[in-house]
Amino acid sequence: MFLMRFTERAYFQYTEEDVRNSYRSAVRLTFSNSHFDPETAADMYNYYLDEYEYCEEMGFDGLMLNEHHNTPTCMGAAMNLEAAILARATKNAKIVLLGNPLPISDNPVRMAEELAEIDLISRGRLVSGFVRGTGVESWATNTNPVHNRERFQEAHDLIIKTWTTPGPFRWEGRHYEYRVVNPFVRPLQDPHPPVWVPGSASPETMIWAAQHHYPYVFLEADPEVVGDAKAIYAEAANDVGYEPGPQNFGYLFRVHVQDTDDKAYEVGKGFLAGNAGVGRVPMPPEYMNPPGYTSIEGRQRSSQINLRPDRLVGGVDAAGYDRVVGMNRIVVGNPDTVVRKLREVLSVIRPGILAVWTNDGSISHEDTMRCLELMDSDVLPALREIGEELELPGPFEVAP
Amino acid sequence: MTTTSVVEEFVEVGGAKLHLLKGGEGSPLLFLHSIEGNLGWLPWMDRIAQSATVYAPTHPGFGRSERPEFLESISDLARFYLWMIQELGLEEVTLVGHFLGGWIAAEMATMSPDSLSSLVLVDAAGVRPGEGEVADIFLLGEEETTRLSFHDPATVPGYGDLFERELSPEERELQIRGREMTTRLSWKPYMYDRSLEWLLQRVDVPTLIAWGAEDKIIPVDSGRRIHEAIPGSRLEIIPACGHLPHVEKPNEFSRLVLGALPENESPPALAEG
Repeated sequence: MFLMRFTERAYFQYTEEDVRNSYRSAVRLTFSNSHFDPETAADMYNYYLDEYEYCEEMGFDGLMLNEHHNTPTCMGAAMNLEAAILARATKNAKIVLLGNPLPISDNPVRMAEELAEIDLISRGRLVSGFVRGTGVESWATNTNPVHNRERFQEAHDLIIKTWTTPGPFRWEGRHYEYRVVNPFVRPLQDPHPPVWVPGSASPETMIWAAQHHYPYVFLEADPEVVGDAKAIYAEAANDVGYEPGPQNFGYLFRVHVQDTDDKAYEVGKGFLAGNAGVGRVPMPPEYMNPPGYTSIEGRQRSSQINLRPDRLVGGVDAAGYDRVVGMNRIVVGNPDTVVRKLREVLSVIRPGILAVWTNDGSISHEDTMRCLELMDSDVLPALREIGEELELPGPFEVAP
Repeated sequence: MTTTSVVEEFVEVGGAKLHLLKGGEGSPLLFLHSIEGNLGWLPWMDRIAQSATVYAPTHPGFGRSERPEFLESISDLARFYLWMIQELGLEEVTLVGHFLGGWIAAEMATMSPDSLSSLVLVDAAGVRPGEGEVADIFLLGEEETTRLSFHDPATVPGYGDLFERELSPEERELQIRGREMTTRLSWKPYMYDRSLEWLLQRVDVPTLIAWGAEDKIIPVDSGRRIHEAIPGSRLEIIPACGHLPHVEKPNEFSRLVLGALPENESPPALAEG
């Protein structure tokens, strides 16, 4: 099993009142950056990077980063920069980017170059995930949401071709045109860095990932939904001639360890109450889903596929802490409790990739470091045994 | 209540089926709707129908009109409607367009002024205001956009039916389709074309620019700029009226449009109040 660590690198030095008084009481997109204190953020960026470097020391297989824009919930607005720093500062762990939001890139060839540099500096440790990005990313970069899926697929095709086809060549697509595609820098990994796709079980994206043999990483999805979704992936995989296994699936969720169950329960509240007590999600629906972001054709196709709704209405962030913890959608506890609960989750979902989202919101750096120490001493060794016992090979053990 | 016999039909333009309402007698008047889609046969159309044949199509990509795959921009739509005029054999057309439809109409007038007998631009998009900004309808959301669109909803004939009625799932789906098409057409640059203001100098048909004095969606300054750009055009500011004069002030609006028809050389004065 491939074990990786994740945090959104939240900025949280603002108040609930700041959010409530902001335009449409939104914490993303329009929440004013006048609430951003550069001195504080400079400290935060550095301790977040310290945490990732420490994660490598403790033996995580992967350091996972993500990217969002115009939001204090994630400071990774230029994720590839953080990845480049980690490429140089670490030696062994994979640098897992889940992922670069391709539709908002106006220059996928530049994206291919940046990722190739990260792969080279890290000596072949890049995992290059790609995402459509949320609606907020479309707003923040003024990218027409109607073209989101088309641009995602075309940018992907162009990046893969840029990495794998000797240049120069010409590209004349629907959204991107180039006279001379011939970046001199190509990635170290052959034929190219692995591509993984994270998401919330959108059938269209899962089918696309399956067709490309790309592992799909479920982001905090309901285990029941994951079961349905894996069947959709498997059907698409069968159609192109292979049988997927655990190596084709990942699962990401919030996991926090402390010395005692009580301490972990209290600190874990910071996941939801964090970011000044308003959580990660308050915003109008248009922000996440501007008109055209989900095409009518896409919704019609999705509605024909039988996916159950998440049992947590509103998702993990809105369902209430006790309920979420009770359903193992967030796992908190002492090392023994966490290992026991992770075994339950892994037995049901059977992923070959496990991403533990160890801290966020108002969980302090000190609590995070203690969490990581306990992961190192008690949780990771047990997880490796569980992975063996449940036969959950990761994508570097068995090709997806 | 409608007193005109209105025909609802589909016409084919460039292989795409276009939903169309048609009613009245007289020279052709083509009305191009805005972001809210085709609101149906409206009271102002009844008043005009004695003097003109009103053609009220639903734009490709809105409602039940098909969108040809190539159709991505306002200038594509302008050429599409010129094609429709050609297909239907219409001559001496009075072209009326509101906001998004006004932008399409303005583009059409710059492309083929000879196809038109007169032009009426109503709170029209297409030219960036010098003062103020066009409200971001996508950011505001549907409810707030509707709220901002009227000076006084209580005085709007049929407001409840048009904007407060619970939609069936199918109607809602068609409405979302229109929102998607609006996004496709106007996301960036938002609601204007850099070259349009300059190109409008070419328009040599009689042009009326009508604007709600209290429009909170697109500033009156856009109307002034269009007025300055089109030689000999007339600007009428409608008092106590928001963004949709044809819905909020149907009497005043129809009077203005009647005055713009080819047989009426000088428009009747706007009623007071």
